[in-house]
Amino acid sequence: MEDIVKGIGLLLEFQNILLILSGVLIGVLVGALPGLSSPMAIALLIPFTISLDPVAAIAMMAALYCAGTFGGSITAILINAPGAPPAVATALDGYPMAKNGEPGRALGLAAVSSVFGGVFSLIVFIFAAPLLAKLALEFGPAEYFGLAVFALSMLASMSGKSSLRNLISGLVGVLIGTIGIHLTTGVERFTFDIPDLEEGIHFVPVLIGLFAVSELFKQSEKLNAVVERIQAKALRLPSLLELKKLKYTILRSSGIGTFIGILPAEGSTVAAIIGYNEARRWSKEKDKFGKGSPEGIVGPEAANNAAAGGAMVPTLALGIPGSGSTALILAALIMHGFRPGPYLISETPEFVYAIFGAMLIANLGFLFIGLVGAKFFSLVAFIPKKLLWPAVFIFSMIGSYSFASSMFDVWVMLAAGLVGYFMDRHGFSAAPLVMGLILGKLVEESFSQSMIIHDNNFFALLESPVVLLFFVLTFLSLSSPFWTKFFSKK
Amino acid sequence: MKNQKNAPKGLGALLNKSDTIIAILLTLIIAFLWFETTKFEKVPALFSNNIPPEMFPQILLIIILGMVLIIPFEHIFLKRNGKNIDSSRKTRVANSTIGTMMILSIIIASSQILGAALTIIAVSILLPIYWGERRLKVLIPYVVGFPLFVIVLFNIILGVHFEPGLLDLIKS
Repeated sequence: MEDIVKGIGLLLEFQNILLILSGVLIGVLVGALPGLSSPMAIALLIPFTISLDPVAAIAMMAALYCAGTFGGSITAILINAPGAPPAVATALDGYPMAKNGEPGRALGLAAVSSVFGGVFSLIVFIFAAPLLAKLALEFGPAEYFGLAVFALSMLASMSGKSSLRNLISGLVGVLIGTIGIHLTTGVERFTFDIPDLEEGIHFVPVLIGLFAVSELFKQSEKLNAVVERIQAKALRLPSLLELKKLKYTILRSSGIGTFIGILPAEGSTVAAIIGYNEARRWSKEKDKFGKGSPEGIVGPEAANNAAAGGAMVPTLALGIPGSGSTALILAALIMHGFRPGPYLISETPEFVYAIFGAMLIANLGFLFIGLVGAKFFSLVAFIPKKLLWPAVFIFSMIGSYSFASSMFDVWVMLAAGLVGYFMDRHGFSAAPLVMGLILGKLVEESFSQSMIIHDNNFFALLESPVVLLFFVLTFLSLSSPFWTKFFSKK
Repeated sequence: MKNQKNAPKGLGALLNKSDTIIAILLTLIIAFLWFETTKFEKVPALFSNNIPPEMFPQILLIIILGMVLIIPFEHIFLKRNGKNIDSSRKTRVANSTIGTMMILSIIIASSQILGAALTIIAVSILLPIYWGERRLKVLIPYVVGFPLFVIVLFNIILGVHFEPGLLDLIKS
């Protein structure tokens, strides 16, 4: 309790509250702008928050992450173009409801269910994270290696067309993490006599390139796309009677979203789609789905925001990112000198509770911002792309350069952007690569340490029941396409 | 009927052309990186109980290679699940995208000569004009206002060091 009070106390400085609210505003804005996403905004924000106090910096990013998930639903409802991937399912019923003349009601349902899902997952977070961390404190290098391998295997089911390509992307990320001087032996690896590579490739330019610059190239293909917009004068909150009708859908989706968020690598998009499908499966009015069903809006919205909170649990308790955005928050934590994982919660619990507080403020903040600014946010989607994307590129260049005052990093950013663009064209997602890059160090370090402890005998690792459990889970995760098909046939 | 006649048969039907090219390219990169791992420095005896520095990257390269070899055939499994891997690449890369890539590469290459401020101005002018923005009442405020905002925010308020570049030469 004392730690919770301390954590909230850390947040209550004027500067921190201001930064959290700016995070919410930026989050809703980028969420509402098709093409811009919260991972991209977090990647761009990292270099500029390095000089800030860690609590303020991470709280701002966490707030942006929560608000960005909601922001995506604004354009999904008003122009049938999800501002962010987690809002894809919201468009299925949100846009028809808006077209039927009730855009304010659709936005209100999305906002309230998002807040509920977010707060629900935070309550789970506050209880689950310390428990998980306590469990993880017992882990040795072998157990960590097993956990990291399991997390990598979960990349297969991350969003994207192909599980195989997601896995390749993830492993390429781990491989990129090996560039530079090998910490235990001091040997240079893949440096090609380039001094800038001795320290390894910095996270920030790679993240900015993959998320922002590659998207710029994609957007340059469709500069003249015209979208039809539905006018929304204000956001209308649902009545108590309506909420009563929808309570089970919201509660169910919040639970689903939180659970999916906690699973390593399973993000808000997967949660939203499952939330939508489950809302439909349990609905008494299935025929209304796709035509503006309220359940079709609250189902995915509660789930995707709950997943955002859920994803913070493995990120902070285990150091294993729960989604693309939390992978970036993890990178920011490392850059601020923290060691994400069980020690973060056992040694600096007040810091973790401060992040919790920031996310809580963010959840209430975007409801308020949505209430007063729905009309404005429905307009931002119409900022001309021809002016918006050059601005994004300028921020990307400055962000990459300012991190280490190095032009080499700007070239890395451009290269990552080009690679990201061609990866996307051929069905390889960028998010698994980022997660692989961030998990890479943990995988190699824990593997090396385990091998030293077990005299280079790999099979000795299996003597630990926890490692065995993670390997079984890895096998189940990789073989899931086969057994899910088998069971669905039955 | 015509499509069926033209459909590839035998090995051609099993392999996806674009994915085969990707698999060959990735295999070549993997072979090159494997060769690089053989050139890593030898570890002094003091560290001999650690796993050798090339071992982990080599394990990764083998696993990636194993997966890469499946890529040309993956379209068969994806099709069964109703997914089409070719949907995002059925059209050529747009000329506007290639042009954008070239412009941005040239701007970054010349940024050390231009300096930060002129680079920002160059991006603000070149990219919108290349993308077809011709409305002066929009362009002029953008080209003047946005770089000014960026310079004030990052250079003056946040203290990010901006290389002066050409501006330094002009001053002196």
